[in-house]
Parts: sequence; structure tokens; C-alpha cells
Amino acid sequence: MRRLVERVRLGSLPGLLLLFLVLVGWELVGSADSPFYPAPSSWWPALVERGQSAAIVPALVDTLRTFGLGLTVATITGVALGLAVGASRVVGRATAPTFEFARALPPAAIVPVATLLLGFDETMKVVVVALAAVWPILLNTSSGVRELNPLLRDTARSLRLSKTRTLFSVLLPSVTPSVILGIRVATPVALVITLLVEYLTAVNGIGALVGDAQRTFQPARVFALIVIAGALSLAVNALVRSAEERVIRRRRR
Amino acid sequence: MGRDEGLNRSGFADALGLSVLVTLAGAWELMVRSKIAEVQFLPAPSEIAAAAQSAVFDGQLIGRTLHTVGVTLLGWSVASLVGLGLGLLLGLSPIAYRYSMTSFEVTRAIPPITLAPAALLIFGFSLKMELVLVTFGGIWPVLVNTMGGVQKVAPELRDVGTMLGLSPRAMVQKIVFPAALPSVMVGLRLALSLCLVLAIVAEIVGNPAGLGNGLISARQSLQPALMFTYVITAGLLGVVLNAALGAVAKGLMPGDRARRDSSW
Repeated sequence: MRRLVERVRLGSLPGLLLLFLVLVGWELVGSADSPFYPAPSSWWPALVERGQSAAIVPALVDTLRTFGLGLTVATITGVALGLAVGASRVVGRATAPTFEFARALPPAAIVPVATLLLGFDETMKVVVVALAAVWPILLNTSSGVRELNPLLRDTARSLRLSKTRTLFSVLLPSVTPSVILGIRVATPVALVITLLVEYLTAVNGIGALVGDAQRTFQPARVFALIVIAGALSLAVNALVRSAEERVIRRRRR
Repeated sequence: MGRDEGLNRSGFADALGLSVLVTLAGAWELMVRSKIAEVQFLPAPSEIAAAAQSAVFDGQLIGRTLHTVGVTLLGWSVASLVGLGLGLLLGLSPIAYRYSMTSFEVTRAIPPITLAPAALLIFGFSLKMELVLVTFGGIWPVLVNTMGGVQKVAPELRDVGTMLGLSPRAMVQKIVFPAALPSVMVGLRLALSLCLVLAIVAEIVGNPAGLGNGLISARQSLQPALMFTYVITAGLLGVVLNAALGAVAKGLMPGDRARRDSSW
């Protein structure tokens, strides 16, 4: 347990004391069939009772797929646009107002539009997730390019490297840390938006399950699914952080 | 937090950038008008403008915007106070940090979106539900950034305070808090955008008022132009709130440091 907590980078185990006390208090005060605050001990049974446990794993897979695809699309688009915006002043100036405005659109407001234009399918979900998660990656990539040591570019030029060669052997390797930072910031965004799309459209995934539990008045099930969503978000963030560390360590070598 | 200084340091309204924006809108208009690439339910910019005009005149756009702004600001204020208090406590007291920080990390990891169904069950389709959701989501960025800022206050600054014989209270007021202010402002700004998003989510799924509700009822009555009006209003609202907070930040933190920290 201690190892797990350290892995997920939560801090110390004693730090869970407050949460533990709150849950114990909740357990003592609440009852299993309270319509508002069902006791924590009733959460797990509510999740698995009446054959409802079968829905959890496919829902998790759905959520992770939308999240993964969305983040991948966001990374590819974000890096490509970020390189263009960062490398050329003109491109940066030309696109700034358009991007600033697109970035300001709340993802929640985009969901109804996306369902109307694209329908209720996986493509729509991935588009919405990517649209929300692309900005941190784009911004970090472009500022990574701008903060690049001018010496690097000059070296590439005096070695007469081709444009493609400069891109792949000079530019991309040196902005990798910025890109990874962007991905780390984008990860929780992508997960939240995945759950949001699922919840708002009621199409598959953990988000849709929570919505379903709410509409059928199963508060204990709602709380159980909230716990699952929290665990999912901790796991995904820990995964991205450890990937980040691995990449950075390899670069140092 | 990531670097987030905006795409263009020279300012938002740049002639070249604006002309690109206008060209894009023109191309969109042309595309819809000429039916080159027909997308079902995609209104032309001129139709959106017409819908926006009538929505302004019949009062629904302004009323709904005011509702969303009000709830966002109210929830954000409460969240900021709670986040500031908890952040100061956790940053100043090692005991509080030791026995509760992990709990806050775990609670913070819960995507606020998933709390919407719980809030809906507990509070029903009401303003209360919207406020609770907005407040709950807004607490975490303020808490984390306040705590981080307090913990990073240079020890020399504290030494100065000790040397001057400041009381613990004066120490916080005159040394710790001002030194942590840039970090606190980052938290406040992140929280404000998050509160706006959560208010709109709450309005879409629960409380039948505000921009989120306008959006979803336009969607249901198949009025895409009106729907785009609400989406664009929500986007503009985000920009305006952010800019207003940036101006406040500049006023609070004059000088070199403010310029560096509020280049957003």
C-alpha cells in the first residue's frame, strides 16, 4: 500500500487520515438506503448487485479508448501546429486570435454542437476530447520552439542540414521536454472531457454509467462509480508521469 | 502548471491575425451558401449573427449570460475563500499537511464532472446544485497553488520577518501572503475558467437556467444558429472573465514581477 501510494505520488500514507475520518463518520451517520448520502459500505455492493458488474469492464475499456485516441490526436495536431506557430512569427501572429478564441470555448458547450454536426459516435467523442486537450500541447510546443537556443538553429544552418533533417534531428528532439510537459497538462483535461462527453451524450463508458445510475436513482452506485473515476484519474496521471520520467532519464544518458 | 502565456505576447488584436479570422468566417459563409461542402445543421456566420441579434433583443441572451456570470462568480468567490484558507493552513502547518494532504490529493483527483450526477441526486434540478458543483470544482486549483506558493516563500524573507519581531499574524499578512500572491493568482485564474465550465455543465444537465440551458434548448428545438450564438457567447465570456482577472492581477502586483506573471 505504501509503495502504491508513493508510486502514484500522493505524498505520505498518514495524509489519508482526514479522508479516513470523513468516511468513518459518513459510515456511522449514513445508512445504506439513504437517498442522498448512502453509507460507504453500501457502495461496492451497489456496483455489483443484480448482474450490473458485467457493465463495468467494457465501460472502462470504452472510456480508456476514447481518452487514448483523443489524447493521441491532440498530441499529433498540437505538436504540428505548435512547431509551425513557434518557428514562424508570421504564422504565430496570423493564427493567434483564431486559436485564442477556439481555446476559450468551454468544452461543455462544444458537446451539443458536436453531437448535432457529427452524430453520436466515437468520432464525435474523439474530436471533442482532442479539441479540448490540444491547447496545452500546442502552447508548450510553440514556446519550446521559441525558447530554443539560437545556436542550435545556426549550427543546423551552417551544417547545411535539409529542412526535414533539421526538423527531425534538431527541432523535435530539443522540444520534446516541452511537448511532454504539454501532454502532462493535457492528460487530466482529456480524461475529464472524455467523462463529460460520455455523461452528456449517454453513449458508453464510465461517464454514461454514472449518468445512468443517477437517472435510475441509485445513489450508492453513483458514489461507487465516482470512486472508480477518481482511481482512473490517479492511475492515468501516474502513468503519464512515469512515462515522462523515463523519457527525460533517457535523454540525460 | 504548464507554461501558459498565450500564443502571442504582442496582444490579442493584431491586424494580420484578425484578417485571418475574418477570412475564415468568410470562407465558412461561402461554403455554406454555395453548398460546396454541405454539412447538415451547420449555419452560416450570417445566420448566427441574425440569431444573436434577435436573442439579444428578446432579452434571453443577456438574461442567461447574467445568470451564468453570477453563478460562476459566486461559486468562484466561495471556492477561492475556502481554497485560500485551506491552502494557507496546509502551507503553514506541517501537522495539517502531514495528516491531510494525501486526502486532498485523492479527493482532487476525482473528475468534477462525475460529481454532477451526485449533486443532481442530492440537490435536484436547482440553483443549489449548480452552485455546489461550481464551488467544489473551483477549490482545488486555489488550494494547490496557495499551498505551493506559501511553501516556496524564500526563507530569507521569513528571517527578515523574525528579525523584525513580527507576530505570526503579521508574518502571514506582510511577508508570506504577498510573497505567495503570484502563485495564488495563477490558482484563482485556473479556478475561474474551471468554474465557468462547471456552471455550463450544471446548466446543461441540471439547473434549467443560464447559457448551458439556452444551448441545450436550442439544440433540442433544432435551432443551430441560436445554439452557435450561445457557444460563442460562452467563449467570449471566458475571454472577458480571464482578461478582467488579469487586469486585477496587474493592479495587485505592480512592477516587474507582475508583468512577468500576468503575461496571460
